[in-house]
Amino acid sequence: MRFLPLILRNSWRNRRRTLLTIASIGVSMCLLGVMIALYSAFWLSKPQDNQALRLVVRNRVSLAVFLPLAYRQQIEKIPGVRIATPATWFGGTYKDAREARNNFARFSVEPEKLFPLFAEWSIPEDQKQAFIHERTACVIGRDLANAFNFHLGDRIPLQGDIFPGNFEFTVRGIFDSPSNSNLMYFNKEYIDQAMPERRRGFVDTFYILIDAPEHSARVANAIDAQFRNSTGATKTESEQAFVVGFLSMLGDVRMFLVWISAAVMFTILLVSANTMAMSVRERVREVGVLKTLGFTPGTILFLILGEAVAISIAGGAIGYLISTVLLKGVQRSPMGGFLPSLHVVDPVIAAVCLALAALIGLLSSLVPALGASRAPIVEALRSTD
Amino acid sequence: MSEPIIETRNLTKEFLRDEFHVVALKDVTLEIPQGEFVTLMGPSGSGKSTLLHLIAAMDRPTGGEIRVLGHNLRELTDREIAHWRNENVGFIFQQFNLLPVLTALENVELPLKLTHLNKAERLEHAATALNLVGLGDRLGHFPRQLSGGQEQRVAIARAIVTDPALILADEPTGNLDAASAQEVLTILSKLNKDFGKTIVMVTHDPHAAHFATRVHHLEKGELMPDAA
Repeated sequence: MRFLPLILRNSWRNRRRTLLTIASIGVSMCLLGVMIALYSAFWLSKPQDNQALRLVVRNRVSLAVFLPLAYRQQIEKIPGVRIATPATWFGGTYKDAREARNNFARFSVEPEKLFPLFAEWSIPEDQKQAFIHERTACVIGRDLANAFNFHLGDRIPLQGDIFPGNFEFTVRGIFDSPSNSNLMYFNKEYIDQAMPERRRGFVDTFYILIDAPEHSARVANAIDAQFRNSTGATKTESEQAFVVGFLSMLGDVRMFLVWISAAVMFTILLVSANTMAMSVRERVREVGVLKTLGFTPGTILFLILGEAVAISIAGGAIGYLISTVLLKGVQRSPMGGFLPSLHVVDPVIAAVCLALAALIGLLSSLVPALGASRAPIVEALRSTD
Repeated sequence: MSEPIIETRNLTKEFLRDEFHVVALKDVTLEIPQGEFVTLMGPSGSGKSTLLHLIAAMDRPTGGEIRVLGHNLRELTDREIAHWRNENVGFIFQQFNLLPVLTALENVELPLKLTHLNKAERLEHAATALNLVGLGDRLGHFPRQLSGGQEQRVAIARAIVTDPALILADEPTGNLDAASAQEVLTILSKLNKDFGKTIVMVTHDPHAAHFATRVHHLEKGELMPDAA
């Protein structure tokens, strides 16, 4: 601790360079923070209590291939299944599809099953009843209502594409959700009745509510076994796995995140190493002076590494803070409705970001620091800066 | 005569520079008693600074023996030498070599950070040393806010703050005007006479040599016999 003031003073010696280094590490760590948060949300987070009770059944071939609605009766007979209800991706266009925020998620569902299925959502009882009893009613999430300034009674027109036609929905309820709620739900019956006979009786997915999380594997296997030899074989997975699967339609997102993170780390390591080498080279003479005063090579090494780590941690901390702001934005964006619950402020991710920043500082300065600490005093004093 | 604080016997330093074999110091045998103020004089390249660096254990000899303050420096490890130097040797450079990011007080405190003193004790010692060189009113000044003479006085304070027995100065007045040089030499003389410090000073300046109790001349790496 007695060397901390010296380390901090040296860090701040060339302010412009230090600020630029902190900024470059900050931007990189911000990107890394977002990547780690997304990776963690998709592949490392445990499902929340209610989420662990939900399964999603889809066609084994693809999400784009529908399942017969008649499957529901057979699914409901499987022990452990409390609710089996269809949920179909509507798609469609709200006003101008070129505007990103208009592409929020919208599903046709059975209104009376929606809120028992998503027990973590809250909605006033009268709004829930209005949604259940009015065929053209819709409910929307609080985030969506806030984003478009929608109020109860407002009408939302949608032009269908997967389900052709012009539809108009009346906002009868606004629900609150602990996660992103850029979501819109409306009555399946309203859509079905506008479709020709041959289009009716098919659904995109079934949402299943089971009685206990520990039964999820058994129930999923039982459902898939039930339809294994039928024309529409199913794939049943946890809600979390379903969301990840949805994302994987973009490609191998997992590898994408890992490689981008690695590239960011490597790039910032090179930038930081260059800066630290420059910084140490300018102070070889001072290293000689410190050694003359009695500083050991180990102490010199500690001082230089400490300086690099201090700068990197400052960059890492700033980067992490910016990443939380970005994640908040991602969470509230229309795309957020497709993502699993993101932990915007996560102590573990913060610690990982800071540890990676410290590691970058350490690695980037190790070679110049070792060189300086081992430099003979007389040679060091002869340096002309 | 006092016990010798520095003893060298056939001290030699050779090295390769750009494939040329250079003999910087050749068979120097020397004894410097405790409490002396010795100057090492000679033309450039005569080996004065090399001898000073060997006495401070900042460099290793290639031949001969050297004992300083009772220690055979060739037998000490780098780590032991660093501790020994911190406790026993104060070094003053021609170019002051203060750390620009630290104030005068913090520069002087620096060698004490390697001791077991707490912060309050370190600052008290550093302030005392600065008072001794007449800079008690410049504690919070950074080197860039001081004149050359004041910077060198801070460097002297840094050299004496650990109360070393031996003070080595490598052309301490080389970068100073006459008035500042006089101040520095007066301080060194005072440290020798009033505090009993042994001082070895490398200089080109014959006027500076007048402050010394003994003068040694070197030429082409050899100690001139008339001065030995």
